Amino acid sequence: MQKLKAQNFHNLSESVIRTLAQNRIVTLLDFLQEDVSKLTLLTKLSLQDVLTIRNEIFTRYSAPLINGTALLTKVYQSRYRISSGIDSLDSITNGGFPVRHITEICGLADSGKTQMCFQLAVNVAKDDNGTVLYVDTKGDFSAVRVQKMLEAQGYSHKDMASIMYRIRVVHIWTMEDMVELFKGIKNKSLEIKNLALVIVDSLPCLMFQHLGDDNKMGLSFLNILVNYSRFIANEFNVAIIYINIQTRWIDNDISDLEDDAESTSAFKEPAYIEKKNRCLGKYWESVPVLVIQLEKLDYSSKENETCTQLKASVITSNITQSNNSQCILNLSIMGVT
Amino acid sequence: MKAFKISNTTELWQKETSLPAVVSFSQSLDNILGTNGFQLGSITELLGLPGSGKTQLCLQLCASVQIPKLLGGLNAEALYIDTNTNFTITRFREILSASLLRCQTILGEPLQMTEDEALSKLHYVNAFGLEKFCAFMYRLPKFIEAHPNIKLIAIDSIAYPFKDGISTKQRTGLLFRQMAELQRIAVQYQVAVVLSNEMSTRVGLSGGAVVGSLGDAWAHRCNVRLLLSTPQVTQDPTERLALLLKSNVAPSTVARFKITEEGIRDAE
Repeated sequence: MQKLKAQNFHNLSESVIRTLAQNRIVTLLDFLQEDVSKLTLLTKLSLQDVLTIRNEIFTRYSAPLINGTALLTKVYQSRYRISSGIDSLDSITNGGFPVRHITEICGLADSGKTQMCFQLAVNVAKDDNGTVLYVDTKGDFSAVRVQKMLEAQGYSHKDMASIMYRIRVVHIWTMEDMVELFKGIKNKSLEIKNLALVIVDSLPCLMFQHLGDDNKMGLSFLNILVNYSRFIANEFNVAIIYINIQTRWIDNDISDLEDDAESTSAFKEPAYIEKKNRCLGKYWESVPVLVIQLEKLDYSSKENETCTQLKASVITSNITQSNNSQCILNLSIMGVT
Repeated sequence: MKAFKISNTTELWQKETSLPAVVSFSQSLDNILGTNGFQLGSITELLGLPGSGKTQLCLQLCASVQIPKLLGGLNAEALYIDTNTNFTITRFREILSASLLRCQTILGEPLQMTEDEALSKLHYVNAFGLEKFCAFMYRLPKFIEAHPNIKLIAIDSIAYPFKDGISTKQRTGLLFRQMAELQRIAVQYQVAVVLSNEMSTRVGLSGGAVVGSLGDAWAHRCNVRLLLSTPQVTQDPTERLALLLKSNVAPSTVARFKITEEGIRDAE
């Protein structure tokens, strides 16, 4: 909670604040919770003045009220989607990634998540003149690969340099640092001009470091991080993409347990059900407004050898009309198209 | 407030391309990795059944890191963390002298290095058991700081210390903490990290039941994953195959190589 400061309220002088502090009234909350008549005694202000200060605090620090029209204009004036630069992906997400919200891309290991991130970073940096902040938590960012993708798409050296200049990479190894970084961006002590997109590849690498702890530190970090992310997304009009992973769980189908031991069950193919599970737990499940799942398809024909197909599907979404829309993307030397 | 180093991609590109990768002495293997060898700054995982050549490849890389700068090598040292006591010094000596001899023939002049000097460029740690392994991993940052010429860390194998005495959740937590630290060292000091991992069986998995051990979350952690195997029909029992399972720079392809007395070489 914020401290009482003299410059914020014209009735409160430094000496009055000192007197209040001696009586353990330091923060705004302390002031509000204190009995008004006691405050008048302490501050030697009139009852009217104390009430004015109280009201001032309420109007200044309570959540602001905006009416619908103003909200809509605000949204229209700033952009509300960042195009991914991939047409089919834009069409299933209704025009790109939602600005001011958190998006998640999930998939099994080696399903093309990082390649997708490289492509998104490149596409946003080239079209929008915006800056992309790439938070790398597992040393997976490859500038060589980004340069090769740009080269394969036929960019001149000058364009390449300016696009690559606008992709900023920061290596983060712990959840503590991650929270610190976002705090820095929030407080504007860490300024990045024209920030349009933040990519975090990947969150589980940090969160899994807290697995097996009994103190739930990881969860509290995650909560703080989500709050900072939401604030940053809103304040700076950026889209934030988190990479999550999936793991596979296998359930043994136990429907034939009731059969006799000697019945046909011995000849039956054992039935296994494979489930894919998004990591990071129940709390995270509902945080992103858009979740895109990536899958690598087995390439069947020989002619496709230079190119792998990825299937992208929207699995939960608060911002598109239809759930479960899918598209097929190609992963090649040129990147994801 | 902590200062974060935010670098743009151009700077990183210069850093990534300024140093050579650690070569395996098999060109086809180096080529499929897309970086002409094992890239500094990233973690490579070697998977395979017993006898598929994981340890041999680790030993070869420990020797390759000593290639003189004149030949485009690193002229550096290696750290070998042995967790399953698979390491034999006589075999390493064999590979090392063969590798150095080859450098000599290409250079056309004798190397200014005795065998003892070359052998002293290998730092060997026997970290048998979970406690010893964790204790060494804890000391690793200081060790690398004190030995800046180490450009390769090989851990053979990463799964072995975690086989017993730890719950799955704690194992994942511990592994990810250690890997974050290892990756930080790798990126900061430009060191290549090679881990070997065993295979395990997961019954009922759609993509085939034999997978690398330590689970799906782990599969996500390493930057490069390379699956080694022995071909079933072959004339030459020394021939091996390497399949690139995961990489951030190269598509998934297969390379052929063989394990000879001198170490890893191209298959004819």
